[in-house]
Parts: sequence; structure tokens; C-alpha cells
Amino acid sequence: MPKSLRILIWLAVAVLGAFALATIALHRGERINAMWLVVAAFCTYGLAYRFYSKFIAAKVLALDPQRATPAERLDNGRDFVPTNKWVVFGHHFAAIAGPGPLVGPVLAAQFGYLPGTLWILAGAVLGGCVQDFVILLFSVRRDGKSLTEMAREEVGRLGGLVAYVAIISIIVILLGVAALIVVNALKNSPWGAFTIAMTIPIALFMGLYLRRLRPGKVLETSVLGFILVMLAIWGGQWASQTPRVAGWFTLTAPTLALLIIIYGFAASALPVWLLLAPRDYLSTFVKLGTIALLALGIIALHPTLHMPPLTRFIDGSGPVFAGNIFPFAFITIACGAISGFHSLISSGTTPKLIRRETETRMVGYGAMMAESMVAIMAMIAACVLQPGTYFAINSPAGIVGQAPETAAATISSWGFPITATEMHSLAQAVGEQTLYNRTGGAPAFAVGMAHIFSNSLGGQAVMAIWYHFAIMFEALFILTVLDAGTRVGRFMVQDALTHVWKPLGRTSWYPSILATSALIVGAWGYFLWQGVKDPLGGINSLWPLFGISNQLLATVALCVATTIIVKMRKARYAAVTLTPLLWLVAVTFTASWHKMFDPNPRIGFLAHAGQLAMGAATAANSRLIFNDRLDAFVTGVLIFMVALILIESAFLWLSVLSGRKQAGVKETAFVPSGFAAEEQG
Amino acid sequence: MNSWNSKFQQLASRLKSCPAIFTAALREIFDESAYARFLARNRLSASRVSYAEFLREHEVAKVRRPRCC
Repeated sequence: MPKSLRILIWLAVAVLGAFALATIALHRGERINAMWLVVAAFCTYGLAYRFYSKFIAAKVLALDPQRATPAERLDNGRDFVPTNKWVVFGHHFAAIAGPGPLVGPVLAAQFGYLPGTLWILAGAVLGGCVQDFVILLFSVRRDGKSLTEMAREEVGRLGGLVAYVAIISIIVILLGVAALIVVNALKNSPWGAFTIAMTIPIALFMGLYLRRLRPGKVLETSVLGFILVMLAIWGGQWASQTPRVAGWFTLTAPTLALLIIIYGFAASALPVWLLLAPRDYLSTFVKLGTIALLALGIIALHPTLHMPPLTRFIDGSGPVFAGNIFPFAFITIACGAISGFHSLISSGTTPKLIRRETETRMVGYGAMMAESMVAIMAMIAACVLQPGTYFAINSPAGIVGQAPETAAATISSWGFPITATEMHSLAQAVGEQTLYNRTGGAPAFAVGMAHIFSNSLGGQAVMAIWYHFAIMFEALFILTVLDAGTRVGRFMVQDALTHVWKPLGRTSWYPSILATSALIVGAWGYFLWQGVKDPLGGINSLWPLFGISNQLLATVALCVATTIIVKMRKARYAAVTLTPLLWLVAVTFTASWHKMFDPNPRIGFLAHAGQLAMGAATAANSRLIFNDRLDAFVTGVLIFMVALILIESAFLWLSVLSGRKQAGVKETAFVPSGFAAEEQG
Repeated sequence: MNSWNSKFQQLASRLKSCPAIFTAALREIFDESAYARFLARNRLSASRVSYAEFLREHEVAKVRRPRCC
């Protein structure tokens, strides 16, 4: 293609993207079509990938197609396998896409669609994609080493310790919050609870089918599992309409929490092939299919956004969670913009599959763009709802009141009209008794998704099926994260305990398995219980805590990346990782300060504890006060640890730049690539 | 004109390879490829016993693989 034509095409993309962004940013008082968000996103991603990622690849990282990757040098057909770049892309995307990019944007929609959308786009192309790309490449150049190992080798022992603590903390808090989202979605919902309960025997059946009847036929088994899950959704309707069965599955939040804690412990101790692996396959199958279906639904229906670009809650008084746009919008949306957790995957399995160094750009930068697009779709699903409906679903009873009429009146008084009759009709349409006080984002996303799907396929008559399909999809997703996260946490604890007493590190020794499983399940179970008992719905306290810990892990990853860039004598390009690092430091440190010390009891943990202390001295109050102080303590410890790694890194950068310390990175030696030689013929 | 023709042919051949790549990606995500490599590496045929052996070998990697939030 002639160069002039290429320039013209990219100019057209830039103009279209700018026009779409201007449309979503400048329209006031008029509803806009969701396609403007999709167009703005595609143009932003296209330009960022073509120009920014190419600049990073060429100038900062100097990707070398002649250099053999660990997948080529250490190819053992097991861990290290040179794999087609599109296959690695799919594998990497399936690993990074979780419930986070679906839930975060739905919660942040309380500010309106604009702040979240802009953060998702800017955060992804300048932060998240860059983090995933550089960490992937640095891991590839170090034989697939993990983030913790790279932090220890390149920054120092303290760096390794901080990364370890950050990872354990994020796992524990994430699992607690994720379980709370499931509890809030399934409480008093016999249809939802029945469907999710059925996924356990379905997974067990899949495990046995795969091992005994059709060994190795995972795709076939997943399709079979999917059909059974669809039957379970259909059966859920019967269960909810049969009084006796409905009674068994109408569960309160505390009962559900206890059941999930017991399930988490059992799943962690059972053989992997029996429950964890088949659930993982089933969840991945449903996840990939549903994301594709949602994308098609949005494009086919191109719905109108009913949420305004900005709501009155930009002042920090939001009912879903309290706090101003800065910093709270930026910690609420983590996974769709920048997520520290991704650095674990970029330095985990993926680097061991990369065939050519140049492919890290498409896999690292490109897969994160796809994840960011999922977050945009979640934002659309939340914003197609009438704002009154959105706030009625997401506001806790502690804010809007318990009675439907009171809640509807409170929400209407905010300027988002809704009536108790409308909410009752909606609840009936989706097969629920009530949709009030379902904090956590999952039910609002499910209603939005059901709205999009039912308008594309099947009409209003099947809205209840689509709603419960969406709830099943999210709950299945989250419970799989719970299974896998508990195991990963257990292994990490066992790895650490092996230094104390060797048998504790043995992953096949049952006393150690049970003790470490109990430790991890107990830790996240405590946060879950705390959320269930919180009169403000739990999400107000716990989701920001999760966002802070996730972004702090990203801070650690960007610290490691910046250190390596400086040591590579490329300090002039360090802004590529230093800019998102400084932004995250500003966001996480400000958010942490607010969560600990803000005088508003809805924001600050200590202020809330102080307010409770002035009330009656009951056992429930004492527990809430303790929880607030614990949350403040956890936030403080995380911030302190990250401050340590920042200081250690900054000293290292100054030492290298001033020449007091010799620059030099711990990469594996250059070996020429056989694939490159083959290509050159 | 020739260059456009060759570009068109390249594009057509890329499009033709899409289903194969899609299937390969699914097989990789769902560990079917890992099982096939295991069989090839150990010169075994697909059976319950070999699959159980594969699961034993694969278990550690599977459970240590984080799934993102």
C-alpha cells in the first residue's frame, strides 16, 4: 500500500476517534448511542497499537527477532512450547479476562458514563497495555521468571518481599470481594442459587467424564457441560416456581456466605481433576462465548445510553460507593484500565509460549486492549439501564431504605425517577422477587445484558432466561476465580512455610494442605463475612480495598519495569513506565489516605469506627469497629510496603544514573533464533 | 495490478487459515494440545491411563496458574 494512502487512512482513524470522543465528552442533556463508545474505543486502540506500542517495541525495548525466546531454547513440550502468536494471544486473553472488567465499570457508572470510559481508554493504552507488554518481554528475556523473582533480582530483596506480600494480599481481598458479589447476586434468589448449585455436580460429572469416558476430550466435555448448565438455568425457573424447592434455595446472605466458605475449602482440598479443572474449562468456555455474544449484541442493537455523561455523584456522595472521581473512579476500574494482577500472568505461563520476541507486542499490548474493550462493553451494559433502575439495584438499604416505596422515593429525589411498581415489574420480568439492594455490580450488569440480549434475541418473553444466564456466567466466573485463587494462595503460603519447616511445603502432605487451605479460606472468608454483615452492603468498603491492592501490585510491576529500563541504559525512555507509575502512586496513595483518615464516615474507615463508637456499645457495633480498624490497618500496611519498594527503586535509579552503581540487567545471554534463520531461508 | 493480486491472494490464504488458528487456540486454552504433546513426548497413545498420567504431570502447572480477577 502506498505510504500516502496509509497516512490518509490513519489520519481518518484519528479524526473519527477524536470526533467520537468529542461526542461522548461534550454531549449534555441528550442521550447518545452506545456505538460512539465503541467507535472511540476502536480508534483509540488502533492508533495506540499502531504508533505507541510500535515506538515502545522499537525504541524502548528494542525487540530483537534474531534472539531466541525461552520457548525455543528450552522447548520441552511441557512448560516451554513455541506456539503460534494468535494461539498465545487467545490463551493470554482467556487468563487475564475475569469478572473485574465487568464489575468495576458497572460500579463506576454511578459517576456517569464519561469518567469511567475515559479512564478505561487512557488507562489501558498508556498504562495497562504498557505494563502487560513490558513485563511479558522482561520475563521472556529472563527465561519466564515471575514478577517476584524479577523484583528480587533487579530491585533487591525488599522488592521481592513486597511483591510477595502484595500478591498474597490482593488474592485474599479479591477472593473476599468476589465471593461477596456472588452472595449479593444470589441472596433470596432461588433461581440463581439453584443454577449455581447445579454447576457443582455438573463440574464433578465433567471431571469423571473426562477422566473415565473420554480422556483428553476437553472441548467436547466443555460443550456437554455448557448444555447441562443451560438446562440448569431452565430448571432454575421450575425450582423458583415450585414452593417447596424454592424454599430450599431461598438463602439469606449469611447462609450463602457460609456455604461459599465451605465450598472454597472443599474445592481447595479436592483433587484438581475432579472439580477445579472442569470448572475452569466450563467457565472459560462460557466466558469466551458470552463476551463474543455481548459484543455482537451491542453492535447489532447499538443501544442508547440512558445514563448521563456525568451524574451529581461526582461530588463524592455516591450511593454505590462514596468518594470523589479522583481517586475513586481510578481504583474502582482496575482490570479494564490497568491491573497489577495481569503482571502475574505476563510473567507466568505466557512468556514460556512466546515463539518470537517480536510477538510480545501483540500478545502483551494487544490482549490488554481486548480486555479493555470488555470493560467498555460492561460500561455500556450498565448505562443502557434507566439511571433510576441502576441506582435502585446498586444502592444499599442503609442508604435508600429497606421498603421499596422509600427506596424509590429516595432515588427519585436524586433526579433519577423510578417507582416501586416499575422495579416490581422489572423484578418479575427477570424472575426475581426483588432487585433492590443488590450491591456488587453483578445484578446491574445482568439486567443490562439481559436487556441487550432480549432485544436482539427472543424478546421480553425470555428476559428472565437471559438475566439468569448472565448471573450464572458471572457467578461461575467468580467461583472459578475463588477455586483457583485459593489454590494459588495455598501454594504461595506453602512455598513460604517450607523455609520454616520443610514438610509444610510439601504440596501432597494432607496436614499441610488442610492447614494452609484453612488459612487462606479463613482470611478471605473473614472479609466476606465482614461484607455480608456490613449495613452499607460491604462493597463500599471492600471494593476500594481490592482496587487499591490491585493498583499497588501494578505499582510494584511498573517499579520493576522502570528499574530494568534504567539499568538497560534507556533512562531517556523511562517515562513510558514512569508516567503510569507516578499516576498510580498519586491515585493509590490518595485513595489509601482517604480510606484511612477521611473525616466522612462513609469514606474513612477510622471515621466510621469513631461514629460507631459514639453509638450503643453492642457486640455488633464492636465487631464493625474492629473491622473498620482492620481495614485501615491492612491499607496502611500495603501502602507502607509499596512506599518501601518505591524508595528502594528510586535510590537504585539515582545510583545508576549518577554512575555510582554499574548498570546491568540480569537477562539470559543472547542465543540466535532458529526460527529467524528458517525464515531468512 | 499484479501486486494487488498477490496481496489479495495473501489475504485469502490468511482468511482460510483463520478457522485452523481458532481451533488451535481453543485446543491450547482447553489443554488438548498439552495432552497431545504429552502423548508425543512419551510415545503413548490416548487412553485412560495415559490421561491420568498427564493429569498428574499437568496438575502442578494447572493449580499454580493464576486466573485474573
